[in-house]
Amino acid sequence: MKTLLATSVIGDARLLAGVERGRLDRQNHLWTHGAPPDLTRANYQQLCEAVGLKGRGGAAFPVARKLADLPDRGVEAVVVNGSESEPLSRKDRLLLSLAPHLVLDGATGLARALGAPHVLIAVHDAESAQSMREAILERDDRLAIEVTETPDRFVAGEARAVLSALEGGPAVPPGRKVLPTRQGYHRRPTFLSNVETFAQLAVLARLGARGFSATGLSTAPGTQLLTVDGAVQRPGVIETPTGIPLDTVLQFAGAEPGPVLLGGYHGRWLSQPVPLDGASIVVALGSATCPLGEVYQVAQWLSAQSAGQCGPCVFGLASLVDDFARLLHGDVNGWYDAQRHLGLIPGRGACAHPDGAARFLTSALQVFDDDVRRHLGGGCGRPVLGVLPVPGGVA
Amino acid sequence: MSRLEIDWTRCDGHGLCATLLGAAVELDEWGYPVLRGREITAGEGPDARRAVLACPALALRLSRSVNR
Ligand code: SF4
Ligand code: SF4
Repeated sequence: MKTLLATSVIGDARLLAGVERGRLDRQNHLWTHGAPPDLTRANYQQLCEAVGLKGRGGAAFPVARKLADLPDRGVEAVVVNGSESEPLSRKDRLLLSLAPHLVLDGATGLARALGAPHVLIAVHDAESAQSMREAILERDDRLAIEVTETPDRFVAGEARAVLSALEGGPAVPPGRKVLPTRQGYHRRPTFLSNVETFAQLAVLARLGARGFSATGLSTAPGTQLLTVDGAVQRPGVIETPTGIPLDTVLQFAGAEPGPVLLGGYHGRWLSQPVPLDGASIVVALGSATCPLGEVYQVAQWLSAQSAGQCGPCVFGLASLVDDFARLLHGDVNGWYDAQRHLGLIPGRGACAHPDGAARFLTSALQVFDDDVRRHLGGGCGRPVLGVLPVPGGVA
Repeated sequence: MSRLEIDWTRCDGHGLCATLLGAAVELDEWGYPVLRGREITAGEGPDARRAVLACPALALRLSRSVNR
């Protein structure tokens, strides 16, 4: 997949400062952001607590709590999870390819503060890998920094799947639920977070808590990166202050009126504008395409993305594809079966894929209620335009 | 108090657990166990342990409930 290079900024440019001129090499990076300060573990802990920094990979876990959960000594590695698992998301790839030094500052600064000898960066596209490798050669961090390309599959981006891949194993989540902070890389304590989190840490280290909190919500200050896609005039990645209303984002991107998907293919459809609430993906569907047909294509893709390990996920998603196909063709039993199957898959897998897929499909049936009725009555008369991108094309 | 847990990467849907512990486990339409999600009572303890030991895939565990 190609990196979406279109970037724009509402308000202050922090993470995206300077990238409108292209990739920031070491010199341009220092010129834009200044030199990174040398902070202690206690400094990081305080800063993250003060601004309530949360992980930017989707789970929104407080960074301060993750830090506090690490043992005092013996932290093995800091892992930058750049294997963006949501196929619609572009923000992490964008940071890796345009602002690699900001990400590295965040990761190496924290590794030094934690006394961790390794910094491991998992990416899943060649462009990001190359950008990071070049950046590492441009600096001298006196740490073992490694870039690994992991498979480009939805579930392969899950934290424990990434750790497994970094250790040379298969990129699937293990069946046992373990915390990376206790048993991470080679079963040793590990700090793992996504790319944007490290870039935010680099910004926070420089600005301090006061400076960082000068924009955005008072409860969760700072900026956020949003990927905007679908029926919009200006798709791309936007940096905005936290707390920005969804309507403003849609207007800014030139979205067609119509249903909106928040949070990607593990996210949910909205029937009315709601606060963004940490979601980093916004997709406008417009009104020219058949919503259920679009959802059906994504369902097929979600089913194909199941790592094939866990029965209810494998059989449940395959059944749902069949249910949606029947529903599309006006068979009311497809609707009933879908409702039942949607109740059967959440919480019944080694990772959150079935839960996320169920959220996406359940909200589709709710929000596209009218379209369901039209299909049961013979069809909605609209073509499936493919507004929702499906990686690798439609099966 | 304890709870049943399933390692979904191992469970093959043999369904033995539902036979041995029908009060706490039923099977879905694909033959995989659906846990009723509640605590295993002291009275069910022996049956639950028997089910754990009998699972041919070593997929079933009895865990102490800790809130984390
Ligand atoms: S829940 Fe699904 S996607 Fe996750 S590991 Fe199991 S089979 Fe794979
Ligand atoms: S006995 Fe074990 S393998 Fe069989 S259904 Fe129960 S948990 Fe799964």
